[in-house]
Amino acid sequence: MNIKTQKIVGQVIFVLLAFYLDGLMKWAFLNNMNTGNFMILPQIMLMAIVLLSMRIDNRRHLLTYGIIFGVMYDSYYFGIIGLYTVLLPLIMIGIDHFKFLFIKANIGYELSIYFLALTFLQTGIYVLERLLQQTSTDVLDFITYVLGPTLLWNMIVFFVLYIPLANLSDWLVKYRRENK
Amino acid sequence: MQKFFSNKKLIILMVILIVTFGLLAVTVNIRDNKDTPPAVQQVGNDVVSVVGGVFAYPTNALKNVSSEFSDLYNTYTENKHLKARIDELSQNKVKLQVVQEENKKLKEELKLDATLTDYSTVNASVLSRSPSSWQSYLTINRGSTSGLKKNMPVMSGKGLIGRIIEVDKISSKVELISTNNELNDKFASEIMGDNNNSITGVVSRYDSDSGKLVMENVNDTKSIKKGQRVMTSGLGGVTPRGLYIGKVYGIKKDNYGMTNSVYITPAAELRNFTVVTIIKSQVSGER
Repeated sequence: MNIKTQKIVGQVIFVLLAFYLDGLMKWAFLNNMNTGNFMILPQIMLMAIVLLSMRIDNRRHLLTYGIIFGVMYDSYYFGIIGLYTVLLPLIMIGIDHFKFLFIKANIGYELSIYFLALTFLQTGIYVLERLLQQTSTDVLDFITYVLGPTLLWNMIVFFVLYIPLANLSDWLVKYRRENK
Repeated sequence: MQKFFSNKKLIILMVILIVTFGLLAVTVNIRDNKDTPPAVQQVGNDVVSVVGGVFAYPTNALKNVSSEFSDLYNTYTENKHLKARIDELSQNKVKLQVVQEENKKLKEELKLDATLTDYSTVNASVLSRSPSSWQSYLTINRGSTSGLKKNMPVMSGKGLIGRIIEVDKISSKVELISTNNELNDKFASEIMGDNNNSITGVVSRYDSDSGKLVMENVNDTKSIKKGQRVMTSGLGGVTPRGLYIGKVYGIKKDNYGMTNSVYITPAAELRNFTVVTIIKSQVSGER
């Protein structure tokens, strides 16, 4: 196995771990099923995806990741295919398109990009589900009870986990940067 | 026309839109109509769930430990309370045994094979919960190979928690009773009255403001009292009779003053459990 495949395997395992963490975190400590209105949705996988797409330069590579993990997420967690499957690649392409604006990735940039990506993703899911009548929540309730708490929680987690996660994803992509 | 088709970005945008809505519409419809998702999706979900099990077991163990600690904290007061009830319980147990025996004999006499109260159970452990606001699903590690089917009711230790919505080969999804969904999640239920007159209705919605289940289409609200027990009535065929849902909390009129809805405190504390029980009814009703 050459180093390129090794790095790709590493990236896939990184995203997969984050994928499972989403479900487990929701199950283990954000499991408010009969108390409270607030819905906190852990989006650790999106963190991994954002960090990787800030570092990987190959657009086709990004698109493949987006579609594969999107389909997995939809099928395993939602039972409806077409939410993450479409939104995730769009986010990744978007980040790839605009990342030339940033000279060097630092916590401020990445935090704000993650914020935008999360808002886009949650709003996209809400709009699509509303269209398909999977929910009857109105917009204000969505912003107050779902989007707000989710953003807050995830921003804090991103802030806390930034240094290890960023170093890890640097290391996972490094090889490609040197060979450019 | 030439110019339109030469614009690559527009075409890509169009394709994306078509694919999105196509996929969404197809999967939503398939989920509502057919018994199971397509085979490819089943296999995919199973593979993901098997790997997910590796992470889920330590998490569940941790969760059990933490709930044991909180149990330990309450032990003293709980013990006092339980001691008072233990005599009553053993009495009831003996009585239940006798009655069950009698019931069995009477059924044989009448040549009844299975009634609405007969069911068998399958235990499963929970792998994860969907990080989604409107699809509150649990993924469990049993599927069609264990005989699960769509729409079977699911209990945790104390009471009803939901219903199976998607069955794969070795994993399936449970939709929680607390989902506020217009289409699914309706349980035919009854309130146990004082003098054995049962009041029937349908538990149809979840009030997320108060955390109570709402029972509608109630035929008689006069004799309902706070604290009466609510259970499934077995009408409709899929759910057997006698699964405990919760206790009556109060009665509220709807906005137009036309119908009364009964608010129920759910018995299942939808928080501290790692194992669920799936109920397989032995009477198959009309589909």
